[in-house]
Amino acid sequence: MAVDEPAKGAKTDGTDFVAKIWDFLTSLKLVVILLLILSALSIAGTVIEQNKPVQEYYRFYQPGTVALFSKLGLFDMYHSWWFVACLSLLALNITACTMDRYRGIMAAMRKKNLILDEKLSKSLQNLTTIRYVLPPDAVEKKMVELAGSGFSGKHVVTVAEDGARHYFFEKGKYSRLAFFMTHVSILLIFLGALVGSFFGYKAYTNIFEGETVSQVEARTGKIQKLNFQVKCNTFHAEFYASGMPMDYRSDLSILQNGKEVIRKTIRVNDPLTFEGVTFYQSSYGSQPDQVSIEVVNRDGSVKGAVTAPFGQTVAIPGVPDKVEAADYQEHFHMPDGSEGGRAIGVNIHPANGGPTGLWLLVDQPEYDQRRGSAYYFRVKELKLKKYTGLQVNKDPGEILVWLGSILLIAGIMIAFFMSHKKLWISLRTDNKGKSELTIGGTANKNREAFSKEMEIMIQSLKEVS
Amino acid sequence: MTNSLLFGIATFVYFFAMVLYVSYLAFRSEMLGKVASLSLLGGVVVETAAIGMRWYESYQLGIGRAPLTNLYESLTFFAWTFAVIYLVLERKFKIRTVGAFVAPFPFLIMAYASLNPNDIQPLVPALKSNWLISHVVSCFVGYAAFAVSFGVSFLYLFKARAEKRSPKSTGSFWEFLPSSAGLDEIGYKTIAIGFPLLTIGIVTGAFWANVAWGTYWSWDPKETWSLIVWLIYAAYLHARITRGWRGKRAAILSIVGFAATIFCYLGVNLILSGLHSYGGAS
Repeated sequence: MAVDEPAKGAKTDGTDFVAKIWDFLTSLKLVVILLLILSALSIAGTVIEQNKPVQEYYRFYQPGTVALFSKLGLFDMYHSWWFVACLSLLALNITACTMDRYRGIMAAMRKKNLILDEKLSKSLQNLTTIRYVLPPDAVEKKMVELAGSGFSGKHVVTVAEDGARHYFFEKGKYSRLAFFMTHVSILLIFLGALVGSFFGYKAYTNIFEGETVSQVEARTGKIQKLNFQVKCNTFHAEFYASGMPMDYRSDLSILQNGKEVIRKTIRVNDPLTFEGVTFYQSSYGSQPDQVSIEVVNRDGSVKGAVTAPFGQTVAIPGVPDKVEAADYQEHFHMPDGSEGGRAIGVNIHPANGGPTGLWLLVDQPEYDQRRGSAYYFRVKELKLKKYTGLQVNKDPGEILVWLGSILLIAGIMIAFFMSHKKLWISLRTDNKGKSELTIGGTANKNREAFSKEMEIMIQSLKEVS
Repeated sequence: MTNSLLFGIATFVYFFAMVLYVSYLAFRSEMLGKVASLSLLGGVVVETAAIGMRWYESYQLGIGRAPLTNLYESLTFFAWTFAVIYLVLERKFKIRTVGAFVAPFPFLIMAYASLNPNDIQPLVPALKSNWLISHVVSCFVGYAAFAVSFGVSFLYLFKARAEKRSPKSTGSFWEFLPSSAGLDEIGYKTIAIGFPLLTIGIVTGAFWANVAWGTYWSWDPKETWSLIVWLIYAAYLHARITRGWRGKRAAILSIVGFAATIFCYLGVNLILSGLHSYGGAS
């Protein structure tokens, strides 16, 4: 470990404790255990379906199991305190390990071995000695040209005590920092998720065609006021001949102080963003706008007609009762299990006493006759209004997540495909004025490729004359 | 449809290549080896034409989309990337003898694909995106690299045992295969290719999910399993680079990683439910 250990005698209880925690945080054991736990928990979360309505769990599990799982947070486990605690510990572990290695690598990068001595040469590959009849200055010029072409950047020349000249070349020095990029990027992604969950929200809203909203309800139940208004001009759903959905689109306008600022048709995969708030096409539906009902006597003669705006109670002509269109179903389930088509749920409010509810079928107008009362209702016309269902997001942490992602990919690429290559050459003169050149190198990755590169260079050096 | 015919021919050529690779190992004739590689390449060429044809035919049907959106299409594309990656590695590392163990896969994957419905359906709104191609291609090339690593690691385990049993040259069957050290190195290098691609696949998937559904990560089973796969290979790389894990332990991790990959690809679609249901069999 590259931590600066304090001198043994000077250790106080405090630093000892800190050192112990540090050791724990940077230990391989912690990573392995955390990764195993996180994987096991994640697998459990894919087997137990998450965030379903409670009733659905009762179909699969015993009531006792449902109660236990729900108490343990297994139905929303990715947000449970223990899962978040594991992730936090992982973040701490990554931070500690990164700091630890950062110090080590920076120290190693600073401490350069500039002299090709016997000890160093033992650790090098392609170590070769070449003798020339030329004087060293002539060799040097050609050598720097040859070596310099493969190693961009400046080389360092050191003159040793014995008069030999040592040349140090390197390339891809900073590729050693790739580990720093990959680990910091993951912390950045965590941070982005954290910022999003504290300062952002995810909400949902339905807007009827022609209507406007200025606030949305977040998943947490909190009402989020918008600094502007959103209007749904129109909504369209298109289907293929097979019935498969083809396109959902909403024509939206953003209004500020009553003026339209932006107008855009959003689709799935093409949302609208305004002032950091994004609107996504998520669902759609329709609700009755108003219902025209005929009131029919038992003998079949029409008593009168009522037009009831949805949700409002209106008087029925010639009868003391009042009627309210309160509910709507697109696919009504008949008592015998068959499909009844569009149906309107109606409440009849008599002058005295509580209301009675009944269903009117739009496509079977005489259906209510079977009720056998003094008069029955017949649906004459149903006007529907469509609404678009929008997911509304504000996530100031998103940008950090994308920055982290890009940094992660770049870091991994550098880590795998760039290597730190180092090359040493020493040049000395014997007393007859002839030169002796020694060359050797090392790379931290893909040594075979580097070895081939060096072989070619050595061959060219041998041909210098 | 012409594309179905071409896919059928490609399956047949892959079968032929498999037989040739096995015979190459059995008879150890260089000539057979060359023909085996050429026929695998031939399979790739025919399948490339098949994929291109299917793409073209989707335009003729007025649908116009990349052929990468259901189980049949993803399996055929997987077979294609598998064969391509293997051919590249075979050339680079001179490992033709490994072919007998790797070349059966494109044929088997194609045979499995042929059991699934292969009509060209139009796209649902969520899949209509420019991210489709980059997301699917990076994931599948990554999967294919992991698959080759799996094959090589599996072979490593046998080869290492054979080397231990008879360290001296005996001219046995195992002798003909690359050395265990070579297999170990290729097992690592293929993961080094697959891991960045899987990372790109996950990131492009997250970006796309954010555009389509307004959330970059929702712990849906596909996302979670891709994270598990990513963690396993991340563990492999850390163990190898910082702890010097080689040989048997590395090979076993690579095998475990590929088992998780297969579950992420097929298991999630066929067994678990979630947002990625397009790839399912139904």
